[in-house]
Amino acid sequence: MKATVVEGVEIGTQLPSLAVRFTRERLVRYAGAATDFNPIHYSEHFARRVGLPGVIAHGMLTMGTALRVVTNWVGDPSRVTSYFVRFTRPVVVPDDADGVEVQFNASVAAIEGSLVTVSIEATCGGQKVLGVARAEVDLGMRVPHLDHES
Amino acid sequence: MAITEAHAGRRYPPCDPYQVSAAKIAEFATALGDDNPRYRGYSPIAPPTFAAVVSAHAWDQLFGDPELELSVDRVVHADQRYTFLRPLRAGDVVIATLVIDKVRMRQDSELVSATVDISDRDAEPVCTAQATFLHAHEVPA
Repeated sequence: MKATVVEGVEIGTQLPSLAVRFTRERLVRYAGAATDFNPIHYSEHFARRVGLPGVIAHGMLTMGTALRVVTNWVGDPSRVTSYFVRFTRPVVVPDDADGVEVQFNASVAAIEGSLVTVSIEATCGGQKVLGVARAEVDLGMRVPHLDHES
Repeated sequence: MAITEAHAGRRYPPCDPYQVSAAKIAEFATALGDDNPRYRGYSPIAPPTFAAVVSAHAWDQLFGDPELELSVDRVVHADQRYTFLRPLRAGDVVIATLVIDKVRMRQDSELVSATVDISDRDAEPVCTAQATFLHAHEVPA
């Protein structure tokens, strides 16, 4: 995992992007892992009955996956001090082998001392699925190899 | 009587203690497709959004409160904020407590804001999870 020090970070710094396929299998896995068994995340007939275009991904799955961009970058997930997401558009996941791809891009939006705010954009089919997604990470005080502490 | 602005401030009893396990952390990380080594091994920490697993128990209290007449089928998660004081770790025993912060009445829905405080067995705060839910009165045709 790449180490990051505060010196190399400035407003506008792009983080390595991430593309993830959401399939029905992933939704079932997430449902079990998160114990969120709302049937809109696995049952087509139920999803349509409540007015959705089809089975949709858990918002929290999108939120959790989006944060990987940040934790991949800082290495140590315990450096995340806050995270806010506004859910604006559901990610519809078709019942096929390919599922749907969600693309995550992120850049540094603010720096205050060792606290760095990262703004994440999540898109699916060219449309934003998260209205706002901002994570704050504490990169520590200019300590190289900070990722390797435990 | 359904939910009203007057329910702001309603606090539920603390949930049963939740024990964070290495197996559950690994399962959750795998579901996110995340191979970060900190989520594996003998003393893993949990992915930050693992807090959702713990706060879900507190949400059940909210949605299961008969006085509020909320229907889970008509609830949309509108936004979510986490504030982390430290990561959740395997072996942690944590307790979630929910309070309704605000209820905004709209013509065809309510916006319900709630905070779940997650603290450890020494009552030290670990994480705060603030969510806004949109509760629609009718399922769209």
